[in-house]
Amino acid sequence: MRNMIEVNGLVKQYGQKRAVDKISFTIKDGEVVGFLGPNGAGKSTTMNIITGYLSASEGTILVDGLNVLDEPMDVRRRIGYLPEQPPLYLDMTVMEYLNFVYELKGAKAPREEHLNEVCEMVGIDNVSHRIIKNLSKGYKQRVGLAQALIGNPDVLILDEPTVGLDPKQIIDIRNMIKDLGKSRTVILSSHILPEIQAICERVLVINNGQIVADDTPENLSSTLSNGHRLALRILGESDDVLAALSAIEGIKNAEALEEKEPGAFDYIIEVKQNEDVRKAISQKLSEKNLPILLMKPLDLSLEDIFLKLTTEEVSEDVENNPDLSNGEEEVG
Amino acid sequence: MIAIFKRDFKSFFISPIGYILIGGFLFVMNFFFKLYNIDMAYADLSPLFSVIMVVLMFIMPLITMKLFSEEYKMKTDQLILTSPVSVNAVVLGKFLAALSMFGIILAGTLFWPVIITAFGAPDFANIIGNYVAIIFAAASFISIGLFISSLTENQIVSAFLSFAIFLLLYIMGLISQSTSIIWAKTLFDWISLFTRYQDFTRGLFSLQNIVYYLTVSIVFLFLTSRVLEKKRWS
Repeated sequence: MRNMIEVNGLVKQYGQKRAVDKISFTIKDGEVVGFLGPNGAGKSTTMNIITGYLSASEGTILVDGLNVLDEPMDVRRRIGYLPEQPPLYLDMTVMEYLNFVYELKGAKAPREEHLNEVCEMVGIDNVSHRIIKNLSKGYKQRVGLAQALIGNPDVLILDEPTVGLDPKQIIDIRNMIKDLGKSRTVILSSHILPEIQAICERVLVINNGQIVADDTPENLSSTLSNGHRLALRILGESDDVLAALSAIEGIKNAEALEEKEPGAFDYIIEVKQNEDVRKAISQKLSEKNLPILLMKPLDLSLEDIFLKLTTEEVSEDVENNPDLSNGEEEVG
Repeated sequence: MIAIFKRDFKSFFISPIGYILIGGFLFVMNFFFKLYNIDMAYADLSPLFSVIMVVLMFIMPLITMKLFSEEYKMKTDQLILTSPVSVNAVVLGKFLAALSMFGIILAGTLFWPVIITAFGAPDFANIIGNYVAIIFAAASFISIGLFISSLTENQIVSAFLSFAIFLLLYIMGLISQSTSIIWAKTLFDWISLFTRYQDFTRGLFSLQNIVYYLTVSIVFLFLTSRVLEKKRWS
């Protein structure tokens, strides 16, 4: 498959500060890629450079084989961009605005048909004659997305597309992006981790202007966690339980946490790579008359990965004290 | 360019600003028209154009203040500067939108020559000359205002800064009339957009001054493009 975006040695210098520090990556046609990183990591700057809003201090960018500096107009025609704050003229109606964008981009598709199609795609056909100022935040974001889709660009670049929306709106926008990604190359940025997992097939983790990881969300998770872990809640004395568990083949380490229910303790068990010890645990503990109240896998979440990749020292809290009641820590 | 022009031109009439400018300008100018031409039964419109030059100082900042400042503020410059349109085309589209807005305002005075003709014998060459000249003068005001607007995302700052510059040019004109220092007089006369208009009100269509206004316009349009281009590299 051909390369849609090739970024090579990209640097953006703001005075003394390097916002982007020698970033290189390649995105293939049709890929849906997430930029993950904290605020100020360089995600928006990178996007602004690819779209031509900013110029790079060093490095080259090719979009569909065209150099951003040499053929800026041809590159821009291939990209639909939704910046962090949707670029809306609040005093226009949705249709007036989209007509303006259509003319601005010099789109070729038959106007009325194209605009209606775009409105339908993002679900704004019912508000197309309202003034943008009066729309809810979710609808404004959809209008922003519509704007990016005008001219049928091959590449969509979406900067924090769900920031500030309510949960229902977030799900709607995510589903829309997933649909759009079926026939387009999409780059989206986020500092919300489950979002990248939900939408993207590949994630670039960016921190301090550098790429610290480039993989699928699943691979990242498995490379970084050594084996997997189980969380258990078992009724009985913790010494008895630990003794029983230590006898089981395939368990690397077992550790007792605090007493969560009367007489029942929580445990974290580290399992060796490619071992399934659940059956053995269950049998062993029932032999010893130690009832299991709860057992669930505890994969390293993207939050953990993120901390591992972006902080020098692995956070002790995340490593050792995962709270069993917190289901959101898991990789779905 | 056409898309930018259309949007910016229409935007004057989406908000009340366009109507306020037209109303305010015509109110003030017709007051002077009545004073100079009706009450005194005077057929020469030239003095009115001197007044228009002064009024331009007040209305031009209001026309140009938002042209870029508002785009920066609303971040819509991210849309415009990432669309397949050159910076020059953006600048030119906005300039023409503002100039057309002034054209609409000025068109409201076109009944003056009609009235004068009905009651007297006006000097048509002089009237046409003044209309042409005022448009070129306005173009230079607009390009200065457009340039100032490209420097700040605050419309109020943009308007005041433009006004301050126009006022400074106006004061230079006043000083040049009263000073006896030759070099200052020459310099101020050369710089002041206002002094340069005096030839036209004297009935002299000075091509040199038209070229001057045109040059000022082009220089500031060019500088505006540079400002936008430089923002990418900052």
